[in-house]
Amino acid sequence: MNKNYLLPGIVVLLSFSMIIFSTVLLPNFIFKPAPSEFAVKYTPLEAKGRKIYLREGCVYCHSQFVRPQDRDFGPLVMAGDYVYETPNVLGTIRTGPDLSNEGGKHPDAWHIAHFKNPRTTTPGSVMPPFVYLKDEEMKALVAYVQSLGKKRIVKYNRIYHPDELEKVLEKRKVNVDSSAAANAGRGIFQQNCATCHGTHGLGNGPNAIAIAKKPANFSRPFFKDYDDVTWFWRITEGVPGTRMPQWGKLLTEEQRWYLVAFLKTLPRENEVYPKAYETLDPERWNEQQKISAAELNSQKPAMIIETKGPPPGAGGGH
Amino acid sequence: MFFSDKENSASRNFIVTAVFWLVIGMTLGLTGAIEFTAPDLSTGVPWLTFSRIRPAHVNTVAFGWLSMANIGIVLYIVPTLTRSKLFNEKLANFVCLVWNLAIFGGILCLVNGYSEGREYAEFPVPIDVMVLTGLLTLSYVVYMTAITRTVKKLYVSLWYILGTFFWMPLVYFIGNRTFVRLEGLNDGIVNWFYGHNILGMWFTTLGVGIAYYMIPKLSGRPLWSHSLSMLGFWTIAFFYAPTGTHHILQSPVPEWLKALAVVFSVALVIPVITVLTNFFMTMKGNWWQLANNLPLRFVLTGAFFYFITCIQGPFQATRSINWYLHFTQWVVGHAHVALLGTFTFFDFGAIYYILPRILNRQFYSVGLARAHYWLTLIGFLIFFSSMTIGGLVQSAGWHAGIPVNQWGIEMVPYWILRAMGGSLMWFGNVLFLLNVIQTMRAVKPLDSPDVEPAMAPAKS
Ligand code: HEM
Ligand code: HEM
Repeated sequence: MNKNYLLPGIVVLLSFSMIIFSTVLLPNFIFKPAPSEFAVKYTPLEAKGRKIYLREGCVYCHSQFVRPQDRDFGPLVMAGDYVYETPNVLGTIRTGPDLSNEGGKHPDAWHIAHFKNPRTTTPGSVMPPFVYLKDEEMKALVAYVQSLGKKRIVKYNRIYHPDELEKVLEKRKVNVDSSAAANAGRGIFQQNCATCHGTHGLGNGPNAIAIAKKPANFSRPFFKDYDDVTWFWRITEGVPGTRMPQWGKLLTEEQRWYLVAFLKTLPRENEVYPKAYETLDPERWNEQQKISAAELNSQKPAMIIETKGPPPGAGGGH
Repeated sequence: MFFSDKENSASRNFIVTAVFWLVIGMTLGLTGAIEFTAPDLSTGVPWLTFSRIRPAHVNTVAFGWLSMANIGIVLYIVPTLTRSKLFNEKLANFVCLVWNLAIFGGILCLVNGYSEGREYAEFPVPIDVMVLTGLLTLSYVVYMTAITRTVKKLYVSLWYILGTFFWMPLVYFIGNRTFVRLEGLNDGIVNWFYGHNILGMWFTTLGVGIAYYMIPKLSGRPLWSHSLSMLGFWTIAFFYAPTGTHHILQSPVPEWLKALAVVFSVALVIPVITVLTNFFMTMKGNWWQLANNLPLRFVLTGAFFYFITCIQGPFQATRSINWYLHFTQWVVGHAHVALLGTFTFFDFGAIYYILPRILNRQFYSVGLARAHYWLTLIGFLIFFSSMTIGGLVQSAGWHAGIPVNQWGIEMVPYWILRAMGGSLMWFGNVLFLLNVIQTMRAVKPLDSPDVEPAMAPAKS
């Protein structure tokens, strides 16, 4: 062979083996998540159902992972949920809904009717009818679908409507008026919320500039009207139509109450919202940031939190 | 026919059978598209059910049509560029037979529910073995032809082709390793390493190699820059392979893998821009040729769609845009603009040029070929815009908190448009098949050679 092509040949060989090593072999050596509480170990019937799921190609329309921005599909998944699954059925398209938390959403009879003709239970659905499944196949498939997510959705008992939140208040363990809770909330806020809402909650975090619907500025006077439950609900549910995620899926209930405690301490009366906000010039962004920071420092920053008055119900919290 | 030793017979067999698979694959796709508008159509018929038709469609067009057409064209290009005969014509013909049997068996398996269930790797094990054997044999034939060549310098197309035949058997092997049981997300990671590289390291590198051959050949102008084409080759070889994880960017796979995928996906802008700059600069001052050079028009339409694909791609792979577009019909649009708009169009152009030269006779009808171009183009534009717009509507709805299920109703107009665009394309390609058959049967051409010189062999 021509010597001139020896070097290129070696380079192709080396770079390709490097790529295979780093993207095929390496993940299999170092990525070994421990089984989570929700990893499903399938019973024989469920395993059979899973085979039918693969055979019928359900994966071409249904995904099996929940993302932070998804609504209605229940709690987020974790890497450890998948350790008993092979072949993977992650899916890349959602012509139908995500099924990660399907287990326990509907009764078995609903599923059977739905498989036989999806339009009886879900008008307007484009799912093909699977009437031809034999009875025992149908049973296995339903068993599999009911196993998905190990009824996580039932366990977490999601809250969708503010009215139902009164129940949440009853089992609350965090004293949202204590400075301890507020300080805990501050940490959570800085880690999760500050990139959009800003470290002082003024709606001027670094990401704010790139978002069409601007993040809330908590110094706005109308936030005075928010009571604990409204704060909690808002954090839990996020804001549909904006980049605000459903924190109910990402943070525990306790963490969300800490956040409520922190948000309640932010100064409300003073408008420290930068005036030229809407017409911000990216070139001068740093400068303007400085101005608002200076403005802010002249006010009482929310970084050190003292609560007004004695905490009510002291001892009731933890 | 499959045991011939005649020069270029393997190339001819690959191309002609591929065109049959194209029409079958499109029929499957169209059936799927129609079922979206009339889901009860398949009641009680397992093999007609959309979810079984879909993998059959994808595998037929990917392995039956696009792979086989690419191989057929490559088997013509390699001997021409090396100025030597194909190393072993019989062996290549044999592979053609094996592949045809594999695709035929594969489709039957898939519609009857024998599927491995991993996207792009659905074929059951026996079929995998057949395909892999074919690939390895072809690599052997292509490499031996290159080694025994008479011209010293390797033209850029050969770089692409030789590279592809080096890594593709490996990629295919990794993707279909059913005997190594991987659990959970690791299975997904390897699945998408394969799923991505069959696109990036097989269809793309062969397709671009073919276009590098066709554009200078058809326009009669030298390639604008050889060094630029080399830059494109090396960056594509290096940047394409590690990006598989961008298909599951929002699943809980390791963050470092996602970061790697995003960075390299964005870096892919470099090979794309170099390749396209080279194509379009070669055409500089020669655009008038599009008016009366149909094969060239096919190839350059493909190049234009390549631009769209590869502008979509890198952006789609960034986290914030993927956050918005993932799971929607937009991705279906992207998949088709890549495989149908780009590489299928490259292959059409190449076939219109190569087939007359292999058979040493003129194409049966230029009129049919023109109809083929316009029907496919218009049908595809309808298809593509409906999927792209529909995808945006879907994700806007989801982000406003409207449940996914709602889209059974909201998406109806887009699904109807997709089926309509699909019908046009289907019709156009039935005409293409007819044209190819008539040419094969040596039916007297309808027009004189000077109507479309590129579609007739040079008089010598
Ligand atoms: C008449 C022409 C065609 C029609 C009507 C058609 C229709 C379809 C339909 C309905 C789907 C399923 C999309 C979904 O799940 O929502 C699909 C998927 C697909 N088709 Fe086609 N198709 C056609 C031609 C082609 C051709 C020629 C190719 C490639 C050369 C191709 C490649 C693909 C691929 C790769 C997918 C999978 C997309 C993904 O996973 O996102 N199609 N097609
Ligand atoms: C610059 C190059 C490209 C980049 C960065 C890129 C990026 C992407 C990304 C991120 C997705 C996943 C979208 C999602 O599911 O959210 C995707 C899907 C896809 N791409 Fe590309 N793309 C590129 C070029 C191509 C080319 C050249 C082809 C064809 C050979 C192609 C074929 C496909 C197909 C078929 C899918 C659908 C996969 C499926 O879900 O079944 N892409 N691409």
